[in-house]
Amino acid sequence: MATYNKDKVEKALSCPLNRRKFLKGLLAAGVLAGVPGGLLRAVASEAGIVYEGDYQVFRNACPRNCYDTCSIKTFVKDGVVQFIEGAPESSFTDGALCVKGFSYPRRIYSPDRVKYPMLQVGRGSGKWRRISWDDALNRIAQKILEIKKKDDSLLGLGLTKYSGNFGITNYGVEGMMSSLGYTTRFVGTPCWPAGIDAQNYDMGNMWCNDPEDMVDARYIILWGANPAWCSVHSMKFITAAQERGAKVLCIDPVFTQTAAKSDEYWQVKTGEDGALALGMCRHLLDRGMYDKQFVSEHATGWEDFAAYLKSNITVEWAAKKSGIPAAEIVRTAEEFAQAKPATIWIGYGLQRHVNGGATVRAIDALVAMSGNIGKVGGGARYGHLFTWGFNYHALVQKQPEGSKGYLGQTGPKGEFDTGQGAKPAKYSDRAVNINQTARMILEAKEPPLRMLWASCKNVFSQDFDLNMMKKAFEKLEMVVVVDQFFNQTVEHADIVLPVTTLFEEWTENVSYWHYWLSINEQAIKPMFESKSNIEIASMLSAKMNSLSPGSCTFPTKIDTKKWMEKEFNAGIYKLFGISSWQDLKKGPVKAKLASSASWSGLKFATPSKKYEFKSELCATHGHKALPEYMDGRKPYGPYRLLTPHSKFNIHSQFQNLDWMEEFNSEPYVYLNPALAKEKGISDGDMVKVSSKVGQMTIKAMITDNVPPDTLLMYEAWFNKNPYNVQALVDDTPADMGKYKTGAPGVAIHDQFADIARA
Amino acid sequence: MSKKQLGFFVDVKRCIGCFSCAMACKNQYHQEKEVVWRQVYPVSEEIYPHRQSAWLSLACNHCQNPTCLKVCPVKAYFKRDKDGVVVHEQDKCIGCGNCIRSCPYGAPRYNPVAKKAEKCSLCWQRLDAGLKPACVQGCPAKALQLVDVNQFADPEAVQYIAGFPKFAALNPSVRFRAPSQPRVIRR
Repeated sequence: MATYNKDKVEKALSCPLNRRKFLKGLLAAGVLAGVPGGLLRAVASEAGIVYEGDYQVFRNACPRNCYDTCSIKTFVKDGVVQFIEGAPESSFTDGALCVKGFSYPRRIYSPDRVKYPMLQVGRGSGKWRRISWDDALNRIAQKILEIKKKDDSLLGLGLTKYSGNFGITNYGVEGMMSSLGYTTRFVGTPCWPAGIDAQNYDMGNMWCNDPEDMVDARYIILWGANPAWCSVHSMKFITAAQERGAKVLCIDPVFTQTAAKSDEYWQVKTGEDGALALGMCRHLLDRGMYDKQFVSEHATGWEDFAAYLKSNITVEWAAKKSGIPAAEIVRTAEEFAQAKPATIWIGYGLQRHVNGGATVRAIDALVAMSGNIGKVGGGARYGHLFTWGFNYHALVQKQPEGSKGYLGQTGPKGEFDTGQGAKPAKYSDRAVNINQTARMILEAKEPPLRMLWASCKNVFSQDFDLNMMKKAFEKLEMVVVVDQFFNQTVEHADIVLPVTTLFEEWTENVSYWHYWLSINEQAIKPMFESKSNIEIASMLSAKMNSLSPGSCTFPTKIDTKKWMEKEFNAGIYKLFGISSWQDLKKGPVKAKLASSASWSGLKFATPSKKYEFKSELCATHGHKALPEYMDGRKPYGPYRLLTPHSKFNIHSQFQNLDWMEEFNSEPYVYLNPALAKEKGISDGDMVKVSSKVGQMTIKAMITDNVPPDTLLMYEAWFNKNPYNVQALVDDTPADMGKYKTGAPGVAIHDQFADIARA
Repeated sequence: MSKKQLGFFVDVKRCIGCFSCAMACKNQYHQEKEVVWRQVYPVSEEIYPHRQSAWLSLACNHCQNPTCLKVCPVKAYFKRDKDGVVVHEQDKCIGCGNCIRSCPYGAPRYNPVAKKAEKCSLCWQRLDAGLKPACVQGCPAKALQLVDVNQFADPEAVQYIAGFPKFAALNPSVRFRAPSQPRVIRR
């Protein structure tokens, strides 16, 4: 199997004193030199804790919404997590974590954790009162029964949940909702849906190469992706490829850390990536530098696409649109086509636009025509769900007998919905767009949304238009939030329930990027009164049934370890080459792939079974059949506002910890020196950033990493700080996403704002 | 053959400034607030032209001639014969601050709770157990490595890199590789 070989990376990145030599050296030194010194001197003392040895070791996995989904080794003594490490068995994690992962020991024992069920006397008042689990569940159950009585259904009860914890058993939250009846569900994903649909139209699925095979690439374009911040474990493969002679080009509106590590950086005009890709396609077409066998034998619609390029696209036009000189486009297109294999990592940022799906299709087309689909070290890399074939035992729950719900069409409830294509029941849940949460709460009628349950989801940090959200929440009769910290959503809750960290629960984890599977063992007893999501579901069920027998089907007594086991099946075991989940106690395992390349057999999952340059399905869904250029959003403010990810947090998690504050203490708005001069803003000045939906006062940092027409703020939740980028971002949809995730994506980076000294 | 002297090789070319090393250290030792054994410093724009895009990950340099050891009035420091690691014995420390004031690299820090100094131990307990230091193992970019500086012969490695002050008398046991710059096309 031509796949990632650990030796390749180690050889490419080797240090003169490699590990084995080093250990040998230590042994020798210890025997020959260490003993006399050791006898003369007592063991030195240190403050706090030191490495002592003799730990109990548990297997865990980071369940955050992150490419890397690290396999963790947890070292426990006296029932306390002392420290953690990356699992060395995974060649992806390779013994290392990241700045976020390494802060977990603080997160578990943070004094700021939600410790008990608590009741807020007046939402937003901060007047929290500790209540018992029984009291909390009683209040919640009574409210659910009241809604059912009033509306004759539970559509007034809404669930919003997304990616706060991707541990498979946490789909029991959705299961809990189903076990109560038909409810309102916030469906879709703000993350990556336009690109998912695009890849489905082109290839029939979203399926990326094993990231570890980037080491074999000869040319890598990191397009709108910032792995140096958002997938730090992928960097060693990119670096190894570079040190083996590959060229790395970073295309991004912002000079990112990834740009600094690349051989070349292009500051593309935001949202014009599609024009750039099509310009490169046109040039390769003109020069005949495309894979004629692939486009004729393994693709459909090539002639139409070629005709489109000829009549609508020129390199000069692409240069004008994208801001990248024509000569650069020409040179790079040729280099890319000649390097075999060449690959493009398509980042999620570039599809968070009104033309995001169209852009991904254009980039896919470039990779396809250059003959790089299905190749080891090649591919249009976006993501995959290849390893997610669990039973979703916790998710699949039956509605109580006689439940009434929504009558009408319903689609998938997010990208991980395994029930796609199932026959519709007479009644269904009411699906509303998660990317327009505030609007949906305000607009829901017959019945209105009366109660919201939020878990694995920080609504106020991640959903758009903060001011609209505040209004929407006023409409809700009860808000229950399941979380670990008193974040901005909890501020707007009536009841907060304490949920376990990954170290306090049983589950299993896979990635949407790499191909490893990890078990997540319960390493310590849950702290304080925290419960896992499925335990909360079972406790709520017990309360519901005590008040109204038969009102909830969720099992009232569960063994969480057994529920972890129940997610496995023969297919998973076969894919990963294990006989039981117990094998995972020895460490994570990787899927047994026929090739590290996706689509290596060039048998696509499209209706034609070929790569579809022209997709009739795409046209049926209201888009263009060809990967045509699509205009971006018309600016409605003087400067573009970008709100991408920081390296110190994943969405609203981690930045709140005091350990993280030591390395990143406050948020900034970043702006170009030219703009700063024009506005009379100096480094460190307080400035006001305003958009059509809201405004914020914040400190400025001046850097030409950001283009002159752009303002940049990293999304984050800082503890005890009202900073929130969603105060400036509206909920305008992206072009695609509805097909595979139930709702279109959202144009997070098609935002505009003004700036002035505060 | 010269004596073994362990030290860090900071490959600034590979370093992505991700702070994993610094947090790996906190993860291992749970230091008090503001007691940082390893910190990641941005290289100034005069040296690297892009702001906060090149970084120096620094801890104690386990110098060949450590100032901390010289100035300590109670012999709370010693240098391990077998590998040159400079160890601070906190139970002997009286918190006088001489080492903190004297180290030009700012390695020893004041622990306001213990009222004593402390610094990077190079994870000598881990070393003695056959493990890598927490920061080295925790670097996902393979940019931080443990080397015997007396044997380390990487032709691109230097002892003093722009932005890292030169105190030759101390002979810090640290090596660096300079960052590279991409070709930049701006619109």
